[in-house]
Amino acid sequence: MSGTRISATLVIDENRAIACAACGYALGPAGGPWKDAARLDERPMQGAGGAPYSNAERVLLRRFLCPGCGALLDTECALAGDPFLTDIVKV
Amino acid sequence: MDPITFSIIRHRLFRVIDEAVITLKHVSGSAITNEGHDLMVSLYRADGSLLMGGVGFLHHLTSAAEACKAVIRRFEGDIGEGDVFLTNCPYTAALHTSDIYLVAPIHHEGRLVAWSACFVHVYDIGAMVPGGFSPESRDIFTEGFSSPGIRLVEGGTMRRDVMDTLLNMVRAPEMVALDLSSMIAANNVARERMVALIEKYGADPVDRACAALVDQSETLFRKRLRELPDGRWESRQYFDIEGETCKVLLAMTKEGDALTFDFTGSSPQSHHGINCTYWASWGGFFAPLFPLLCYDITWNDGVLRPIRMIAPEGSVVNCTRPAPVSLATVGAIQSVNNAACTCIAKMLSASESYAKEATAVWHGSHFAIFMFGLNQRRQEAIGILTETFGGAGGARTWADGIDVGGEIPNPIGRMANVETTEATFPVRYLFRRATPDTGGPGRWRGGNGIEFALVQHDSPEGGINYVVSGKGTEFSMSEGLGGGYAGAPCAYRWVHNNAAREAGRNVNPYPTSLDAMTGEAETISWGVFPLKGEDALYVRSDGGGGFGDPLEREPARVLADIEAGMVSEGVAASVYGVVTAAGAVDETATRERRKALREARLATPMAAE
Amino acid sequence: MSAGGGGRYVVATDVGGTCTDAVLFAAGEPVRLGKALSTPPDFADGVLAAVAVAADSIGLGTDALLAETALFVHGSTVVDNTLLTRSGAKTGLIATEGFEDTLTMTRGAYGRWAGLTEDGIKHPVATDRAPPLVPGARTRGVPERVDYKGAVLRPLDEDAAREAIRALVDDAGVDALAVAFLWSFYNDGHERRVGELIREIAPSVYVTLSSEIAPVPGEYERTSTAVINAYAGRIARDYVTSLQGLLRGRGYGGPLLVMQGYGGLLPADEAAGRAVGMLECGPAAGVIGSRHLGRLMEDEDIIACDMGGTTFKVGVIQGGAIDYAREPMVDRYHYVAPKIEVVSIGAGGGSIVALDPASGVPGVGPASAGARPGPVCYGLGGEEPTLTDVMLLVGYMDPGTFLGGTITLDAEAARRVFAEKIAAPLGMSAEEAAIGIYRIAAAQITDLIHEITVERGLDPRDFVLHAFGGSCGLLCGVFGAELGVKRIVVPYTASVNAAFGLLSADIVHEYSVTKTLPAPSPADEINAIYAPMLERARDQLAAEGFAGDATALDWSVDLRYGRQVHEVTTQVAGGGPMTDDGVARLVADFEALYERKFGKGSAYRAASMEMTMFRLSARGLVERPRIERAALADADPAPAHIGRREIFVEAAQGLAPADIYDFERLAPGNVVAGPAVIHTPITTIVVQAGQSGRMDAYRNVIVELD
Ligand SMILES: [Zn+2]
Repeated sequence: MSGTRISATLVIDENRAIACAACGYALGPAGGPWKDAARLDERPMQGAGGAPYSNAERVLLRRFLCPGCGALLDTECALAGDPFLTDIVKV
Repeated sequence: MDPITFSIIRHRLFRVIDEAVITLKHVSGSAITNEGHDLMVSLYRADGSLLMGGVGFLHHLTSAAEACKAVIRRFEGDIGEGDVFLTNCPYTAALHTSDIYLVAPIHHEGRLVAWSACFVHVYDIGAMVPGGFSPESRDIFTEGFSSPGIRLVEGGTMRRDVMDTLLNMVRAPEMVALDLSSMIAANNVARERMVALIEKYGADPVDRACAALVDQSETLFRKRLRELPDGRWESRQYFDIEGETCKVLLAMTKEGDALTFDFTGSSPQSHHGINCTYWASWGGFFAPLFPLLCYDITWNDGVLRPIRMIAPEGSVVNCTRPAPVSLATVGAIQSVNNAACTCIAKMLSASESYAKEATAVWHGSHFAIFMFGLNQRRQEAIGILTETFGGAGGARTWADGIDVGGEIPNPIGRMANVETTEATFPVRYLFRRATPDTGGPGRWRGGNGIEFALVQHDSPEGGINYVVSGKGTEFSMSEGLGGGYAGAPCAYRWVHNNAAREAGRNVNPYPTSLDAMTGEAETISWGVFPLKGEDALYVRSDGGGGFGDPLEREPARVLADIEAGMVSEGVAASVYGVVTAAGAVDETATRERRKALREARLATPMAAE
Repeated sequence: MSAGGGGRYVVATDVGGTCTDAVLFAAGEPVRLGKALSTPPDFADGVLAAVAVAADSIGLGTDALLAETALFVHGSTVVDNTLLTRSGAKTGLIATEGFEDTLTMTRGAYGRWAGLTEDGIKHPVATDRAPPLVPGARTRGVPERVDYKGAVLRPLDEDAAREAIRALVDDAGVDALAVAFLWSFYNDGHERRVGELIREIAPSVYVTLSSEIAPVPGEYERTSTAVINAYAGRIARDYVTSLQGLLRGRGYGGPLLVMQGYGGLLPADEAAGRAVGMLECGPAAGVIGSRHLGRLMEDEDIIACDMGGTTFKVGVIQGGAIDYAREPMVDRYHYVAPKIEVVSIGAGGGSIVALDPASGVPGVGPASAGARPGPVCYGLGGEEPTLTDVMLLVGYMDPGTFLGGTITLDAEAARRVFAEKIAAPLGMSAEEAAIGIYRIAAAQITDLIHEITVERGLDPRDFVLHAFGGSCGLLCGVFGAELGVKRIVVPYTASVNAAFGLLSADIVHEYSVTKTLPAPSPADEINAIYAPMLERARDQLAAEGFAGDATALDWSVDLRYGRQVHEVTTQVAGGGPMTDDGVARLVADFEALYERKFGKGSAYRAASMEMTMFRLSARGLVERPRIERAALADADPAPAHIGRREIFVEAAQGLAPADIYDFERLAPGNVVAGPAVIHTPITTIVVQAGQSGRMDAYRNVIVELD
């Protein structure tokens, strides 16, 4: 996928949309938040990466996924109800 | 300024620092200074601004500048040749009371031309717990002596009354005396070398070279910032203390050639000593900023100029006196480091040309375990378990994080040999190794952390005590990047073998894993604990953050990790979607497994829902 | 051995990364030099070639020379080369169960940053460890445990050990095994038993025990040493044995002695089993050579510099004594073995001069153009300006007489490339910029020497500077003056430094016992520790043909203050056995030495003192012919005067006319006044204004500073 890079997994495409770098799926206009337009797998961090992930039950692993190809676009360590972290890149 | 002289002076300024660091290590002779490299020496201009930062614990480069400036304000008109000033007040400049700054003016022909400053983590500071880390302290007054500025050496002569007063307030005064002498010696060397430099090249040319060096850093740093995209990046760090959860929120904004670090939204200050003061937060984000953004730029005041910080008063990142701060260096400061590392890394990975400089967080917890008691030779032994300097590397955008590979804020720490620790503390290690599955999964995996266990051995008192000031047991503090998972959290277990023995069970004296231990493993994270009889302490440090999607990792790398014992087959299959059999990757099963995992992803709800 | 092979020559050969040097001499004859290119991986070819060159200069063939040779002394970079090219054996490691990762963890970040420059350390994201010589998958843990006192806590599980050996040999296919257990330097029983089991199960596997190769505390460094030795062991052994065979085949009947990194020689048979001993033996030989030259000239305090094509190396001799390195490394691997401290920077004749891409500030090295393509002026295709090109531009080199006229230097090409890549971006003329680069190189060298002297409490003003190597004579007049050294000696053997050093080395066996005793302790207790070492030493020396006056036994003890990390090796004055007064003297000497090394106020008398290691150095004094002094002529150097030209003169801060001399035509006793240049067939000596250069009775050039 060509375009202007704005993170390890996202680009701005020719329509000035934030897009998945792997498949080009558009996630909203450039300069805005994109996570709402992604799929979200929110599960306990406990066990997420193996047995040493002995995190407290309330600690969540958020995985933001591309609705187009399933690529993992970003992760967060979060408590339920905490807002998504928002990254805005102006290119 | 002619570029030749400039090049020579610049190189020589670095040598001045290096020479002072060697002096500091030589005279101090302590393990934390020599093994952990828990020290710093830097040079400052006449106004106290950073001229050249050395490679030490990097939080201190800017804080020592504040120490210089505080001394300049406090002693204005009364700063003499050969004076050395001490400050360790966290509300003035220091990070916590144990980290003492000695700052010394450098005069040439009667004129104050520069400052040198250094720090070491002193053996003891007279806080409620030996060594300084005091989980039970509730205010700065119980964290040992604290001076906003005092003249320790006057015109080259030690002020005996001041020294004696300080030493009167600490345990093991002879060790603290040695720490202080080492810093005085380091400042002396810095001064002598700096004066020699001025005498060779002239006061004026050196002054102009110094000014040019600061300007050059500013120019280069602003140029770098302009090459990076504008934007605003957020990160969030949680840490848990005794049921309390603190949050450090950071929004980093880059506009043109300026950067703003905004901590608005971070938790109010805690009643535990994990808070940090304003200047500690300021130093806290510079610690990753220098090596991540200025790896090829001289670390000085020029780098500070394009930067602004917003830290709400009364918060965990800018606490109000007399809030306790003795654990700041392993508490809020560490979270500031991590949050800044994540925001900077996100900014770097938004740039085609700088993405290779981005990294997930290294060793986010910076766990610290202090031991104190009598050793096998009946000497008083106080000290940190140096495994924390072992660390764990965060994944890069082009390579795995380094297993037990250190940390960013202290680029040249190292841990002691097992044999060194067993010779100085009455303990025996049961095992010490890199812990599989602790590095955050990703296209590039985070470095694994370390796990080890100790029992007492030949202790004249049947055991010793240790301080655990652990956060990062509930939360993962080493954030992942670009889809990589955060590293695994820390774990501390008190294994109750004594109780098992009393209950008539056979205690396994040589377990080589936590599972093989006999007694009940109680989770601990905060406070002072005994290591007595047959009881064991188990510690597992956090892993580094991962980078990118684990499903994108080459199966051959996953196989190599399995063979090296760094990743389990279970995680290989469930997280990486790699199936192996008989020492080889099962290509078909792997393809199917990854397809299934991807399909499961596509069945998750939209985030907006 | 003092009798040797019956001939009259002593031959010394040193195999370096680029060149192999030979030196030969006999009583009453001048020293002869030979040089040839090194020939990896079959280094022996280069050795014979260099010997042939030297032999030719006295009109002998190699075989004829060897038949007349009493002693053949040898140093080689073969082990360093094995590590650098990763061409060692497939190696496995057997460790204490629970501590299998000791090697790969490298004490945390230590293995990641050690050996990096300032620039590397400041850029952690770009750093990595060197790939381990033994990966985790070829490491096996075995149940066993010894404690800090050397007491066995958990006996060795021999069945598990057998299984581990079989798994590594049969399944992993290793050819070499290292065995490293915790605290094995206090109690080597378990390691020795595993060694026996390996020889029983897999007799063809090369084995190294950590307690044998490095019986010292610190399991990471000890393990790493054992692994390096196992990795390079067979290559080192085969190399030494085959060289020995080759020499025998060419008619040499005497012993082959092999140089060690600590500056002593070992008989070939013994050296063959200690690959790590040969690491960095070339630079060590250089320092030994300096010490020998110093003795001839009655100088005990020497800064020994060697500047070749890629690096500038410096070692220090103080009061005739040499310092050992504290944390030696090869490539980026740690090892622990006594090794003469030599520090270096990447500044040599071939070092590339470049502008920093970000700041535009000029710098020298560490990248090097090597011998090929080499400096621009060589005309071999080099396109990057080097320090050698700079030397030409500042007038120090004569395009026509370089290397005895064998290469004509292309001054125009050097000027054009330098002007375009360096001078123009700096806005300077080629000469101005070249002078600037020259000053930067001199300043970097000054800083390095500062590091190894002033930072260790030594004052360069008390030292004589020895300038070895092809490039050192070009710069020493400037950095020597800035350091304020007493005087500078450019030795006749400057270009074959290491080989010359080999000639002056003795056989040295190093023994040590690690044991902690309070200081002072009763003399009897200390003597009891030495008894078995002394017996071993005497037996070993006797077997090599040394007894009585031809032997020397030096005792030294490592001491430290309680709760302090710095240990200082302190000589036992007057040697052993100890008396209680001797112990008191030892403790007093330690305290004085500690303050001298670590600075005033560092000695921490409130703490107890401890002795931690007991060392014995057993020397077999090799008999060798004396170098003859030549008769001195008068001071007038006029017969050697070959011209005048403009060169950079530091005092003038620019170019100024200077006298040019031919070294070959200078006679002992001649004195040249600076500014002057002396061209030798291999190197060039620059005498700055205000300095004078005198040729002494050994044909060394002594530069006196004003
Ligand atoms: Zn996609």
